[in-house]
Amino acid sequence: MISTHRLPETAFTMLATGEGGQTVVSELREAQHSKHTMLLLAIAGAARDADPADPGTVAFRAAYELLTRVQVLDPGASRWLLALPHLGSWAHDALIRLEQESVPDFAYLACAAAAAAVRAGVPFDLDVPVRDGCVLLPGLGRLDAAGQPAWIRLRCDGEQLTAGDRVAVARLALGPDYGSGQPAPHWRGTPAVRAAADGLAWDVLLVTDDPYLDRYTLPMSAGLSAGELRWWRQRVQSAWEVLVRHHRWAAGPIADGVSAIVPLTPQSQTDLISATSPAAFGAVATSWPPDPVTMAETLVHEFQHVKLCGLLDMVPLAESGGEKVYAPWRQDPRPAGGLLQGAYAHLGIVRFWAAQRHAETDPDDVLRAQVQFARWGPTIDSAVGTLLQTGCLTPEGARFAGLMRAQGEVLAARPVPHRAQEIAREVTLDHWLTWQIRHVAADPADVMVLADAYRRGEPFPVAGRPATSIQEDFRKVSASVRSRLLNMSYLEPARYRELCADGALPLSGPDRLLLSQATEAAVQGYRDLITGSADPQPDAWVGLALALHQPPASRLADAFAACLPVMFDVHSCLGAGCDPLDLASWFG
Amino acid sequence: MTSTSQDKAINTVIPDLRDIPLDRLAELGASPLARSIALYRERLKENGVPLSSFNARI
Repeated sequence: MISTHRLPETAFTMLATGEGGQTVVSELREAQHSKHTMLLLAIAGAARDADPADPGTVAFRAAYELLTRVQVLDPGASRWLLALPHLGSWAHDALIRLEQESVPDFAYLACAAAAAAVRAGVPFDLDVPVRDGCVLLPGLGRLDAAGQPAWIRLRCDGEQLTAGDRVAVARLALGPDYGSGQPAPHWRGTPAVRAAADGLAWDVLLVTDDPYLDRYTLPMSAGLSAGELRWWRQRVQSAWEVLVRHHRWAAGPIADGVSAIVPLTPQSQTDLISATSPAAFGAVATSWPPDPVTMAETLVHEFQHVKLCGLLDMVPLAESGGEKVYAPWRQDPRPAGGLLQGAYAHLGIVRFWAAQRHAETDPDDVLRAQVQFARWGPTIDSAVGTLLQTGCLTPEGARFAGLMRAQGEVLAARPVPHRAQEIAREVTLDHWLTWQIRHVAADPADVMVLADAYRRGEPFPVAGRPATSIQEDFRKVSASVRSRLLNMSYLEPARYRELCADGALPLSGPDRLLLSQATEAAVQGYRDLITGSADPQPDAWVGLALALHQPPASRLADAFAACLPVMFDVHSCLGAGCDPLDLASWFG
Repeated sequence: MTSTSQDKAINTVIPDLRDIPLDRLAELGASPLARSIALYRERLKENGVPLSSFNARI
């Protein structure tokens, strides 16, 4: 009789509060070992039913047999393989292909089993696929097989590995490439880093060679030059020093739980994209982080996702479906499961900046850290509130969210300097209002009733404001330069000052006034722009709302925050000439 | 998936296969393991493979 993994209540609580020491990460890893084994069994079942003459099927069966031998002779090597994010990701892909009634990549297991056998020093002899002129040994590297046919015989006598008749490499040379040793002929080890700081070490692969870890929104950075690899290794080392010295709570668990970083190729030089997939426990993907602190934050952020993905494999916390909702860190409406992931990631981010703001010394860096803390601190409470309202959380999910909220409250209660608080408030409001005007829809008939009432000079109807719903991209609002600059003011203060000083910013007059805190003039500017334009001006409406919120906040600020999309729609019905402030007064 | 006050642990949906040799796995096919696999595949079908993707500059 098989039992299921049992997660200690203490581990569940520690995970929810954003903790997750070695013991907790170990619980997740053990469950992943079982999950990968389970998926392997499911794929083996499909292989039994597959064409027995197909080379992929033959290779899979031989690989399964080899893996069984490795498990007996060196259980550690078998566990190493089953823990690899590469293997989990391949297994996911295989299962998806089976769901789609297509043939899984059975042959990959031959490469994976060969890697485990090489690691264990277990002799073997099996056919493996040659892809892109190489034989991939997941987690170790690639054997050069240029010019070879699609399949090649791989033999290991425990001391030496041979591929076909031409390639032979000493087994002990077949490891990852830490950038310090002489490269072995015919062998390209997977780039890796051994980061160390204050007695704490982290051994992590920089995976640029495995197709099953090339599964993120951006392509994997395959073919990094020696110089680029050196930069990555240095950046990982520097980020590790930040984590160990200022975020020890995160460093140890990351070392235990993250075994692979997948460098991504960004679409633009300025964007930092990072990602995690539940298919690949232990892997985080990121484009080039501009500085060590940003990389440290990215690791904390993505490791939160890694932990939550591991937990979700064990304990469902949210049902799929339900209305999509606001997430303070996304441009698009998110399902409950996505919001839960984001909130959990930001719980880690808040804790990171809570400490980092005391570690920084440069005034610009201090400002960035303080605003990041002030910006994200209150979002845990609001996101959990939204999550609970969706009704999509399971009982365990609701309990998890409640624990997150309590931890978020403790963190957010810490004091923040006034200036940082003000910047965070404005950026948060800009995000909320822009999201509202993009995605919140009101019934057109209700809007027309309000417009008619206003036009006739009647008081605001007693029936009150019309009901609204979330409809993705209900209104087209282009990415605002103003929003980017608001963010830049604390993320890159020096660049922000430089741009402001040269006066060449592609901003409207009112936006320029808003950013320079000329509040009254900005209000008048937006007011004139909206009143005088025949076309709807959603961006100006957001700008007007921001200006009205600048201290001292206008009495109309609340109306704008509460019902901007409806006011905007009513104004669109009334057309040019209607004063937005008069309309807002009417809304009350 | 309920916790009890006695053992203070949550039963999860992942079968514990840590101590089972690979060559014995197939023998367990018609067991709760098969149900776990079916459940997992069902969740995969429902949810696909969601990706957390974060643009730090927005």
